[in-house]
Amino acid sequence: MTGAVEPRRRPRFRLEPYVEFARTAMAREATYRFDVFTTIGSFVVRVYLLRMVWTALYAHNAAPHELSRRAIITYSAVALLMGIVMDIDQTRALKDKLHDGSIATDFLKPIIVPFYFFADGTGEVLFHAVLLIPATLIALLIFHIIVPGPGVLAAFALSFLLGYLVGFFLNFILNCSAFWTLEISAVQLIVTWLTDLFGGELIPLILFPAFLQNFIYALPFAAMFSTPLLIYVGVIPPSRYFEVMGLQLVWIVGLAIVSTLMWRAGSRRIVVQGG
Amino acid sequence: MAIIEAADLRKVFRRIVRRPGIGGAVRALFSREYEDKIAVDGVNFTLAEGELVGYLGPNGAGKSTTIKILTGILVPTSGSVRVAGIVPYQRRQENAENIGVVFGQRSQLYWDLPLRESFELLRAIYDVPRNRYLENLAHFSAILDLERFLDTPVRQLSLGERMRGDFAAAMLHDPKIVYLDEPTIGLDVVAKEAIREFITRVNRERGTTVILTTHDLADVERLTPRVILIDEGRVIFDGALQRLRTEYGTHRTLVVTFAEAPTNIDVPGTEIESREGLVVRLRFDRRKLSAEAIIRRVMERYPISDVSIIEPDIDTIVRRIYVEGYQHGAVGAPS
Ligand SMILES: Nc1ncnc2c1ncn2[C@@H]1O[C@H](COP(=O)(O)OP(=O)(O)O)[C@@H](O)[C@H]1O
Ligand SMILES: [Mg+2]
Repeated sequence: MTGAVEPRRRPRFRLEPYVEFARTAMAREATYRFDVFTTIGSFVVRVYLLRMVWTALYAHNAAPHELSRRAIITYSAVALLMGIVMDIDQTRALKDKLHDGSIATDFLKPIIVPFYFFADGTGEVLFHAVLLIPATLIALLIFHIIVPGPGVLAAFALSFLLGYLVGFFLNFILNCSAFWTLEISAVQLIVTWLTDLFGGELIPLILFPAFLQNFIYALPFAAMFSTPLLIYVGVIPPSRYFEVMGLQLVWIVGLAIVSTLMWRAGSRRIVVQGG
Repeated sequence: MAIIEAADLRKVFRRIVRRPGIGGAVRALFSREYEDKIAVDGVNFTLAEGELVGYLGPNGAGKSTTIKILTGILVPTSGSVRVAGIVPYQRRQENAENIGVVFGQRSQLYWDLPLRESFELLRAIYDVPRNRYLENLAHFSAILDLERFLDTPVRQLSLGERMRGDFAAAMLHDPKIVYLDEPTIGLDVVAKEAIREFITRVNRERGTTVILTTHDLADVERLTPRVILIDEGRVIFDGALQRLRTEYGTHRTLVVTFAEAPTNIDVPGTEIESREGLVVRLRFDRRKLSAEAIIRRVMERYPISDVSIIEPDIDTIVRRIYVEGYQHGAVGAPS
């Protein structure tokens, strides 16, 4: 089509735009101030309800033996704390922009477009992460959650970060499917439901029957919530940290590869079919 | 020196034909039918650095498709394209640094943020030196009168304000080339005027190459000495606006108000364009008859109370080219 083959000169990579995207996303989230109250409010209500449920189960001796009553309330409270940042669909802007066609304006800019979505989502999540401070204080003071030693806390933090990345790529893949079909809300609903059930956010996975456990660990959802939470409450001992976080890492790499392939195919479709 | 070269540019869109009803949906699961739509069909043109060109055509002519190819967000089906020495779709990011784009129907500003924040973000994206950024912002604010709403979130701006913001946004990084795709669509007279002024000055003072897509002929008459006319994906005229006028604006209209209703109107050398009560519009070829001769002929035959002459406007001229098409022969797509 064109004569000589162009030497491919990649523009110098600068971090600044992506830092700005993240900062801008934080500023944007801050404009929805009402969210702050609903997030904290619903956190308190949900922990309170779960505490009631677990307390009742323990009173009737119908509770699991692996965890004490206080441990399981801690588990639920920490799970809900994690949910404050984990339940955000950071890259839904991709889906929205594919729906209304405004993705074209992002391709008009000298940026790596998927990095933009990553930065934007990170900014949004960082803003909500600020809410973790009051929510954690509430969990400590009102619900008296257990605080493990610094070694376990550090492992939990690392595993939480890995879990966050698993969730990020999972969301990104789902939002990428909007390149091909505009009807992805049903699929997203199913995935949310699977995450709730098999992620360990609501019910610790160790309470599931053995035959289900194999199936559950073959899915990425456990890597999001269950692994860091079981580290926190001490069910996963330090001797297994390497193994469980290694598995989280495997999920991240796998999902990142799928994300890259989907993004490539999807954006090729945009430049050929014109969105 | 040519800054934009498009040669034999073609873009064929393939879309799935959907048949209506459940039967159609079921059939689509097993076999898909495709339909090809030729949006751009062998377009050729070159632009010199610093030119200001009007890219004109009716809806669906292929204007936006051409612009998208030039910006690098669309790959042509065939043909070659070069913008400032770069093949845009091969090196999208690099090309993006050279260009500014305004789409009339689609804002590039960040919806939730004040205009100023959008500008700041663009400064970071394009790595504009702080001094230059402030200089440009002050300059554009003055021409486009942005000061009043710089701190208003974009979603609260009126269309005219938003468009002015979009223009400034497209120019903050001193692009070599700007593409304006129907930028005045839906704007009021004041906003249109501000934007036309801005386009003229950017082109004159900064030497920015401008392609302006429009179907508002007033834009072209005000702004662009050169026009490229496209229809059904083909260039049907490329040249000076003045030439378009002399070659196609051959017919003038005489508006006659009769003193009393004439029974039948017959003026040699004219044809009746329309008739409303006593007012009749007669079309004539100015190369064959002078206005004076026509008026004399009318007055010899009928009692009249008023006459006036309407010069052909570009709208009429363009419509005529569309209707009469390329077979007219007077103009072909220049190579
Ligand atoms: N992504 C697309 N897929 C299929 N057809 C398209 C697409 N984009 C444009 N077209 C068609 O191509 C033709 C030219 O469109 P366009 O370039 O937008 O025209 P203009 O901007 O001159 O109004 C139209 O018939 C339009 O329907
Ligand atoms: Mg268009």
